[in-house]
Amino acid sequence: MTTTVARVSGLTKRYGDFTAVDGVDFTLEENRIYGLLGRNGAGKTTIMQLLTGQLFPNGGEIEVFGRTPAEHADVLRRLCFIAESQRYPEDFAPRHVFTAAPWFFENWDQEFADRLIADFRLPLKRPIKKLSRGQLSAVGVIVGLASRAPLTFFDEPYLGLDAVARHIFYDRLLEDFAAHPRTIVLSTHLIDEVANLLEHIILIDQGRILLDRDAEEVRGSATTIAGARAAVEQFVADRPVIGREGLGGLASVTIDGRLDHAERVRAAELGLELAPVSLQQLIVHLTGADLAASIEQEAAA
Amino acid sequence: MTAVTTTAATAEREASMSSRVRPGEIWRIVRLLAVNPTIFFGVPWLILGGAWAVTMIVALIIQGAGGAAVDASDIQEGFRYSWAVLSPQWYLVAVGVQAVAFTFSFALGFGSTRRDYWLGLSAMFVFVAAEMAVAIATLVQIEKATGGWWIGAGMFDTLWYGQSGWTFDFFTTFSLQLFVLFVGAGVTTVYMRWRVRGMMTLFFSFVALVLALIAGFTFTNTWPAVLSWFASIGLLGVFTLTLVAAVVAAVAGFLVIRKATPR
Repeated sequence: MTTTVARVSGLTKRYGDFTAVDGVDFTLEENRIYGLLGRNGAGKTTIMQLLTGQLFPNGGEIEVFGRTPAEHADVLRRLCFIAESQRYPEDFAPRHVFTAAPWFFENWDQEFADRLIADFRLPLKRPIKKLSRGQLSAVGVIVGLASRAPLTFFDEPYLGLDAVARHIFYDRLLEDFAAHPRTIVLSTHLIDEVANLLEHIILIDQGRILLDRDAEEVRGSATTIAGARAAVEQFVADRPVIGREGLGGLASVTIDGRLDHAERVRAAELGLELAPVSLQQLIVHLTGADLAASIEQEAAA
Repeated sequence: MTAVTTTAATAEREASMSSRVRPGEIWRIVRLLAVNPTIFFGVPWLILGGAWAVTMIVALIIQGAGGAAVDASDIQEGFRYSWAVLSPQWYLVAVGVQAVAFTFSFALGFGSTRRDYWLGLSAMFVFVAAEMAVAIATLVQIEKATGGWWIGAGMFDTLWYGQSGWTFDFFTTFSLQLFVLFVGAGVTTVYMRWRVRGMMTLFFSFVALVLALIAGFTFTNTWPAVLSWFASIGLLGVFTLTLVAAVVAAVAGFLVIRKATPR
């Protein structure tokens, strides 16, 4: 039986005329890794701030661990959320953050934190204000991992992290998640980097949910067909095309939907190559439709 | 569905078990505020220490410039107008502001409630005000006992200090200190809840209130009465009013911060 950790319905947050979150519904199940994906300004951070009681909604319901999160200590103590633009107390250095963390997170693992600090080569005594973007992200990542909060949010954890650090985060998260399962919500616009981590995807754009589906399903939901232009065009003629690239007599077209066995055989007979579509490509298509259309128009003109 | 109701029931039970007052969760805010002790303790004492050093040097210069010829009590009388003892106050306004502008956002990220944060912050303010008050009231006595640190310097035995005993000095410093901290923090809660619009409203309301009072006293010719009322309540009355203002700012800050949002 799966346990629902958070449930949101009709959630709306407005800033003046601007609607940051527009009537959103979703649930978070226990011990799963969620990807909260979307472009900059899509409303990812706002949703996380609402779930952690930092913001108050203008409409709709939020239930986290069975109650409204805002001002409920018994809910908040099970959450961990270091925002991408987190403010730190004046004159704080990372060591102050890690000294205080065990007072706030009952599952805090100091040994794990120390190992992560060494892995990320985080300078403990340097003022937070003087840290690079990557080091600042590392502070949030270390708190998020070592807190082992039942519901942990990572807000753009990859921002500014170098390749080694990204790899460390990826490895440590999977490792620790296996030993200490918990619900994790990871927001990012760098989708390919985390695609394999995610079990469930919630894609938002302009404050609305475009997609709320199991990651496996999403991955298999589109196909790229490549080969001789004429053959490709013939094959995709009456299918929903979501992307098109071409070079000389060759074409590569992405279609929405799966191909059944008969269709795969036919594609093979036509000499076409079939390839799965990466999550990132799919999401670029889903959230960048206007952009893609305008590029095609330009190309046509 | 069943799953949700189970969690709700668990949460309800836990909520009923934990009382409204959670000393541990308030105490950890005090610890968070003190984790970097330079802010509340280091810098104020550095400022005070710096002011003391300057006062000492000034006293030595006066002595060196033939102060022996001048009556020592005249020099001490001159020092009476030194504001050096109040030098950390301006910094502590900033501390109150930053505690809400930065540390509040951080504490929310660490899962504190707004309520616990304000209570922890208030406890810290009371502690800092008491600590400063004990220290300054005691330093006033030491300065008097040593005849101005053996060179006739006057830093603490100035203004209203050193005239009505240790308890009076303690009370006045405590009131002023608490007022400074809570006004800084309280005004910032308005910003954290309503942002610039709230600050503008607060500022213009304050200006309007002051102008209305001035107009009222002027048109009714009650200025002399107002001044004599202040004279009648004396310094003790004025500092009691300051303490009342601090408490008002503390209560108002609590009400405002309950719906404040981090930046």
